[in-house]
Amino acid sequence: MIETAGIGMLVAVALLLIVTGLPAWLVLIGVALLFAAGGMVAGAFALPLLTAMPARLLGLLEQDILQALPLYVLMGALLNHLPLAQILFRTGSRALAATGAGPSLAGLGLGVLLAPMNGSVGASVAMLSRTVQPRLDASGMSPERGAALVCVASTMGVVIPPSLVLILLGDAMMRAHTEATNLTHESVRIINTQDVFVGALVPAAILLTLCAVVTWWTNRSRQVGATAGLPTVPSTMREWLTAGVTTLFIGSLLAGVTLGYLYAVEAAAFGAVALFGFGLATRTLTMAVLADVLRDTMAVTGALFALLVAATMFTLVVRAFGTDRWVAAALVRLGAGEWGSLLVVLAIVAACALVLDAFEMIFVVIPVAIPPLLTLVHDATWVAVLTLLILQASFLTPPFGYAVLMVRNAIRRKLSLSGLARALLPYLMAQLLVLVLVLAWPSLIWQRNPTALIGDNSPDNPAGAMSDEDARRMTERQFPPLSDEESGKDSKDGKE
Amino acid sequence: MTAFGRMLDRTVGGITRAGGILVLPVCLLLFLQWPLRDVVQLYSREANDLAQCLFALYVSVAITYATRRHAHLATDVVAQRYSEGTRETLARVGAVFVLVPWSLFILYAAWPMAAQSVRQLESFPETFNPGYFVLKIALLLAAFLVLIQALFDVFRHGGQRES
Repeated sequence: MIETAGIGMLVAVALLLIVTGLPAWLVLIGVALLFAAGGMVAGAFALPLLTAMPARLLGLLEQDILQALPLYVLMGALLNHLPLAQILFRTGSRALAATGAGPSLAGLGLGVLLAPMNGSVGASVAMLSRTVQPRLDASGMSPERGAALVCVASTMGVVIPPSLVLILLGDAMMRAHTEATNLTHESVRIINTQDVFVGALVPAAILLTLCAVVTWWTNRSRQVGATAGLPTVPSTMREWLTAGVTTLFIGSLLAGVTLGYLYAVEAAAFGAVALFGFGLATRTLTMAVLADVLRDTMAVTGALFALLVAATMFTLVVRAFGTDRWVAAALVRLGAGEWGSLLVVLAIVAACALVLDAFEMIFVVIPVAIPPLLTLVHDATWVAVLTLLILQASFLTPPFGYAVLMVRNAIRRKLSLSGLARALLPYLMAQLLVLVLVLAWPSLIWQRNPTALIGDNSPDNPAGAMSDEDARRMTERQFPPLSDEESGKDSKDGKE
Repeated sequence: MTAFGRMLDRTVGGITRAGGILVLPVCLLLFLQWPLRDVVQLYSREANDLAQCLFALYVSVAITYATRRHAHLATDVVAQRYSEGTRETLARVGAVFVLVPWSLFILYAAWPMAAQSVRQLESFPETFNPGYFVLKIALLLAAFLVLIQALFDVFRHGGQRES
């Protein structure tokens, strides 16, 4: 049963992460090295398999989509260090004052706007705890309720396209789908990042609406007619203008990427250049601020890339043991069918997400758990969106939800866990509702060219095989024949 | 800490700090890629390839920079209760038994590939622009910096890393 060694690796990682508190990338590499040595001694595989590692790491360095990573982090760092977040929160609070829950709704809105660009849930928690929490306290809101709002707003980046999490999840899903089709030999178009962006749109919109309603409902009575929590200094015309232009700019940038008009990498570069322009024009981007921005960008980028490197090593060893094939076979043996397998895997993902950050989930758990699932459940976009929703719900679930742990740490004040759980409950109910809706109506997932993504598993076509004609058409769609002029042109530009 | 250790620390710190600025040209080149491709219709591939080289160098040094800033993601739900000494010991054990062997393995396994690439001044396979060998150098650089930092962390006796 050497194939189950990969499961042992996952358990070892979880235990060592919690017990040692060492960086996740170090733990992943350590466990991979230990099990690789054991695997070689046991004769499960030979050293040449591990010498493939540099080539895999080189693949990370030459992958165009990963260039978006430091650029999104740069945008997030600029937004954190320039006075934009404060301006957006101040003007948002005033603009929404008539609702009676101005600061709360503005806090949620700020999370929605900025969380997609922040490095991680932890980074969003830090930013919102600094910017929003003091204002919420001033509005008379209980610390638990304020912390719950910060938690929810911080995790919005997980589901709102085109967040950094979504970009990397899209990439991980693409790999998972490729591996699944290698196992099933199905002839389908492989899911890509754009499919995940577009697929997440409708569920994200529903979730956002529900969260806004919950925020308004639970806070309106406290803030109706009150000026508490609203900024004491009135917003100037310049601030209103800045807030309007920034919101419009970020919104159109994100929409452009989501709808496929802009490449994620170029859009992130465009956004960062625009923020530099803002900083220079308002003289808020001083040398000291720039140095801070560069330091933060590099630290977060380094942390994420290290995790990616470690996960590449880890998954290589897991696959060398054949654990991915064993999991796929185990799911089939389970006899739970498509639905049962889906629920089992989502439950495992949810359990892991209680203690792991979004990036650890994407780099470590998704590559192991999702490919076997996709051999049974053929709608990869649907699975990706369900995974996203599960991830967000797990981050918010007390007492071990990642965002809950982070916010308790960031606020540095005694928070009642039961009070926090009560404050989070309506948001978790909203999460559950959206999850059930997406499970019950997969058509909520907006798909581009859905028939090409999903193999035909009808009784007449049990293997999900496509006809030769369908395969030819699909190949032509994916790789349109080049004209004579185009054939001399490179295909690398903007490759995603 | 010995004078050599301090010099090593300063050197690695200098390299990683200097590398931080690389994100600016990466950003500028990728920003320019769109007008170069769609308006000027020249040099967009060159901009993309150059950005790729700089990106590779940037992330190579960023990994060690994150180590020096204690920025790596960790779950310290339990470990936050440990004493500073215990955490230091755990970090040293991790450096000795994980990072040192891993980085040595990557250096060993990547060296032939990188050396051949540099000897040939390998170009990008799709565009034939020069500079692909920089990506392979970046891989060695990443492993080398991880090794040096790990060794430094093992032999460091107290002292403060950059924050």
